[in-house]
Amino acid sequence: MILTESKPLGEIISKIDKKSNVFIIGCNVCAAKMGTGGEPEIKALTDALTELGYNVGGSILPTAACSIRSYESLVERNENIQNADVVLVMSCGSGSSVVATVLDIPVVCTTNTLSLGGLSKGDIHTRICIMCGDCTSSIYGGLCPTAECPKSQLNGPCGGSKDGKCEVGNKDCIWELIEKRFSGQENLPFEHYITHKDHRND
Amino acid sequence: MKFREKLQSGKFVITCEVPPPKGTDTSYSIENASFIRELADAVNVTDNQCAQLHMSSIAFSTLLKQNGYEPIMQMTCRDRNRIGIQSDVLGAYGLGIRNILIMSGDYPTFGNQPGAKPVYDLDSVHALNAISLLKKGTSLSGSNIAGPFDMCVGAVCNPVPEKKFQIMKLEKKVKAGAEFIQTQAVFDVDMFSEFMDLIRDRGIDIPILSGIVPLRSVEMARYMNQNIPGISVPPEIIKRMEYADDQIEEGIEITAEIIKCMKNISNGIHIMPIKSHRCTKNLLRRSNFL
Ligand code: SF4
Ligand code: SF4
Repeated sequence: MILTESKPLGEIISKIDKKSNVFIIGCNVCAAKMGTGGEPEIKALTDALTELGYNVGGSILPTAACSIRSYESLVERNENIQNADVVLVMSCGSGSSVVATVLDIPVVCTTNTLSLGGLSKGDIHTRICIMCGDCTSSIYGGLCPTAECPKSQLNGPCGGSKDGKCEVGNKDCIWELIEKRFSGQENLPFEHYITHKDHRND
Repeated sequence: MKFREKLQSGKFVITCEVPPPKGTDTSYSIENASFIRELADAVNVTDNQCAQLHMSSIAFSTLLKQNGYEPIMQMTCRDRNRIGIQSDVLGAYGLGIRNILIMSGDYPTFGNQPGAKPVYDLDSVHALNAISLLKKGTSLSGSNIAGPFDMCVGAVCNPVPEKKFQIMKLEKKVKAGAEFIQTQAVFDVDMFSEFMDLIRDRGIDIPILSGIVPLRSVEMARYMNQNIPGISVPPEIIKRMEYADDQIEEGIEITAEIIKCMKNISNGIHIMPIKSHRCTKNLLRRSNFL
């Protein structure tokens, strides 16, 4: 799941002209789960803009903003998009970029895209994959120091963890979690030199 | 004798940290180095330590070299990708620098450029390996460079015996070409000694330079205990500092005692004073070096 946060309303309106006809596109996958681009958020943004005197001509909530067939498919869902001068996309950067490929009017992304994270047992996990294009998580039993260690230490921990916590931010040190997962095990798969990444595909 | 020869000869080595200036005026940093001119076997030049912007370690190492010191240029993996790391190693060699110390580096958010993009393209073991390859005339990608050349390369480690994975990494650093190890500050001599036994038992046979941070106050001791990973100041030392009439004096005495113990346990010391090296001579005299 792509983690996003909503940009402040002030930043969004600084990008749109009061006289323009605004159209909103949400995203019913990650952004809806994050509460940044689902049905309620579209409604809230529409109301807030209307109250400020902006002219919101309509909105649609595609299944995924990052997977749009064509401009025509958007028109099929709400033909008011044809009158729009600017489109606000309430999704991650991938979604707004995809929408921009089928439109020739300005597109404004209303979120900040934070990381590729996940949701497990009700908890949001940030930055669990950085899409390095050379997946090595199987070496570490499925955990990923490339992404979850802020310093991408593939050969063992830096000296910075304290009481199991990473020196950066509030997360657990991934190397402490790897140590727990492999505790008591001989012949660790990462015991020998783990080579550097090939970043050609990321 | 050069730093590497001293390491190999089994001499107890003394290195001292001298940070580059936080601007272009080098006079304070050069003066700081002058306090340890006759005392240190080599001068360790930090690389934007604590992620605070300083003059580059390659430039200040060169200046020190021109002033007659033997620099150990620190290099982090925080600010350079593999091209930058390899290129700076070649550049350092070209400028006459013959010792490099590799570390992953403090994260940008700790410093005064918190929005900087962290690089960490290579980890510290990769960087050591890259230098070993360069020395043989090959780059990390396998392409040839005009070589070979030689340099003495070191790495760092927290001397904490129960940190199994940090010791695993230390082993990898040695295999990747580290010739000496500089440790986090030592206050707990027993724990350090246990660490040394453990690594020697594991066959890690490499000169270890114990980190030394002269204590200045009981608050500083407590602060380090709570906030700096890998540092553990034992309760007896805290108590001594707390009840001392003159904490600075007691701090020097405690530090000198630690240094004396290190003579029998490790292969040298690496002194990292909080401010200047003004007191380092006194500290070494008290540790029976002068
Ligand atoms: S190794 Fe790379 S692709 Fe695999 S989980 Fe980690 S960051 Fe993602
Ligand atoms: S504390 Fe752990 S997770 Fe954090 S940077 Fe160091 S090794 Fe990586």
